[in-house]
Amino acid sequence: MNALLGTAGVALGLAACVLGALTLLAASLRHQSRQLRLAEGYALLALAGALLAFLAMEHALVTHDFSLKYVAQNHARATPLLYTIASLWGALEGSILLWSLVLAGYTVAVTRRFRARLTDPLLGWAMLTMFVVGGFFFALMLGPANPFRVLAHPPADGAGPNPLLQNHPLMAIHPPMLYLGYVGFTVPFAFCVAALVTGRVGEGWLESTRRWTLVSWGFLTVGIVLGSWWSYEVLGWGGFWAWDPVENASFLPWLTGTAFIHSVMVQERRGMLRVWNLSLLLATFSLTLFGTFLTRSGVLDSVHSFTESPIGTWLLSAFGVTVAVALGLIAWRGDRLRSPGRIDSPVSREGAFMANNVLFAAFAFVVLLGTVFPLIHEALTNEQITVGRPYFDRMTMPIGIALLFMMAVAPVLPWRKASHGVLRERLLWPAWAGVAALVLAVAVGARGLAPLVAFGLGGLAAGSAVRQVVLAGRAARRSGASVLNAVVGRTNGGMIVHLGVVVVAVAFTAAQSFSAHREVRLAPQQTARVGGHSVTYLGAETIRGAQKTTIKASVRIDGGRVYAPALQQFPNATNAIGTPSVRWGLRSDVYLTLAVAPQRAGGAAVIGVVVEPLASWLWIGGGLMAVGTALALVPGRRRRPTAPVSSPSTPDADLVDA
Amino acid sequence: MRRLAWLAALVVALIALVIGTTDRSNPSAAERVDHIAATVRCPACRGESARDSNAPAAANVRAEIARRVRAGQSDDQIRDALVAAYGDSILLTPPRSGWGGLVWVLPVMALVCGLAGVAFAFRRWRVEAA
Repeated sequence: MNALLGTAGVALGLAACVLGALTLLAASLRHQSRQLRLAEGYALLALAGALLAFLAMEHALVTHDFSLKYVAQNHARATPLLYTIASLWGALEGSILLWSLVLAGYTVAVTRRFRARLTDPLLGWAMLTMFVVGGFFFALMLGPANPFRVLAHPPADGAGPNPLLQNHPLMAIHPPMLYLGYVGFTVPFAFCVAALVTGRVGEGWLESTRRWTLVSWGFLTVGIVLGSWWSYEVLGWGGFWAWDPVENASFLPWLTGTAFIHSVMVQERRGMLRVWNLSLLLATFSLTLFGTFLTRSGVLDSVHSFTESPIGTWLLSAFGVTVAVALGLIAWRGDRLRSPGRIDSPVSREGAFMANNVLFAAFAFVVLLGTVFPLIHEALTNEQITVGRPYFDRMTMPIGIALLFMMAVAPVLPWRKASHGVLRERLLWPAWAGVAALVLAVAVGARGLAPLVAFGLGGLAAGSAVRQVVLAGRAARRSGASVLNAVVGRTNGGMIVHLGVVVVAVAFTAAQSFSAHREVRLAPQQTARVGGHSVTYLGAETIRGAQKTTIKASVRIDGGRVYAPALQQFPNATNAIGTPSVRWGLRSDVYLTLAVAPQRAGGAAVIGVVVEPLASWLWIGGGLMAVGTALALVPGRRRRPTAPVSSPSTPDADLVDA
Repeated sequence: MRRLAWLAALVVALIALVIGTTDRSNPSAAERVDHIAATVRCPACRGESARDSNAPAAANVRAEIARRVRAGQSDDQIRDALVAAYGDSILLTPPRSGWGGLVWVLPVMALVCGLAGVAFAFRRWRVEAA
């Protein structure tokens, strides 16, 4: 029953997408603009299909319908409800189902938002693109990633989700957030294709998709931060970012998307960088496909394993077709994409955005190269090598520092041309903020050139973001508007995002550079000192449950509260899964794991202790970035042409526009 | 006055940097083991380092590194010994010679090309304006 409903839903979604795409194609080619209205109906049908399939799968999971292969492999009767619901996106087929649902949702949202403009050929082509992408994902579910495959002999109980995925409630929100971000970039991509096809490559489509891009970027940011929080809380190695291919796959579109959000401002303001912006959007969208291919096809285990899974071929083909079509369109419209403008001086806002883009592109290139290089190397030499964290740390550190520097300077630079005097005046207070951060870091004992430079530049960047917000607040007060205007709108909201980035960067640097790792073997009541904290092992207890067996150690930190790092043994896994226990602190976290359980009652245990300075600021900074993105979406105060702040004699005029 | 404020900021920053980077205390044996283990893969895992992994194979590698640190070997000697035992892929950083060197060189070349491209664009704009 569930299988039937689910397959019907997928088939309905596919049919709606294919028919929608064909109808829009025919209507666009014959210039029957009234037919373009039909997009609305097809979008609703596709959403209905995706929703039906989604609900059928959730129903199957909740009612333990083990006749479905997906349920039998990813669910067990003893799985708690939250993880049962989250199991839908715990494995490949289900995550494609979630992807389709989110995409169908975005498609309907676009038809609603642009209802009045649906007969516009630009919208027609954009909707057509969305239907084609949607059709691809529905087709995946009828082909190589069918979530509704039926077992001839259903088992009495299933294997249950991967133990790592039923260990923390973040698993229920991290993937949906990530997908809302990933899939959201389909909207600006669709408009970019439409702009190329219709030849309306001006700034109109950018204006239309600005908010969609920001929303997607915000969701992607939240998804990535939650993902690293999950890995910190669950994986038990004391870190939060391992440069693992799965993490890199989500980070790559974030990097190109971030570059786009910045460079698009140059195009809006000066009509330049058109081809570059199109390429960034294309890169962002195709990197979501490529990332899914990398992480889902098994290609990373070895070049030779990927032919075993058909989904890899499908995703790689989709990636290839997307890149080829988009490059073809850009080449075809090459003549219209030339822009007459020019940039007067490298020391200007637009110059800074260009430098920012070169840096982000280089960052993305390093991450992409490092991720796929083992494959290239194996293909060339037949020898396996590893490209791991030390490589990424070393290569991205200088880029990160350069980005912090740009983040400090760019917001104070005026458009067109800056004189040195302007820079000297505007950067003075931010510079002192940077010096203060540096002195404070040295005073509390931070050592080493790279981290100290990062802290100093972090202070500088924070200073120039705060300066912008303060100026905007003053301008708002002068014109009698609410002071809240200081933090809304793209420019000011963006500064809040910058502050979030600074917080994350400082926390990342501190936690990476100054964490202390130790494993200590302790008999009950024995105490060890790690990184200035005392850790006392009190004993361990074993709790047997239906779903898992847990060995819990009791560990007292600094003579205060008792924490309980544990090892969990799930029936479907050979290795025990560690559950870390973390004492949060604004200055540093004390992160405990039970590395080796006591062999006999009252015996000694091996406790892993990581003291991680500033780690909790990573999540605070991530939250600040999310808040900033939301504020940037609020329409800012429009600048009245007569307002005194916009008169050319005020040096800060360009800083207060929203 | 402003010039003076900038000068003061630079001087203070320089002094702080000098204090913050001249601290040359020798790392303890445990810190060295930690440091080396972070650059070596856990043989039983895919990308995790021997420092971060909880697997028994990683514990063996850590013990081996600790033994060699006690024996007075240098970081590079220890890494070479591990490569001899487990092969090139034990290192989390790819080799600098041969095809593996590409992964170090390509990003630098890409960045140089990118910056050169931007510089070229600005030059052209300046010539057009003149």
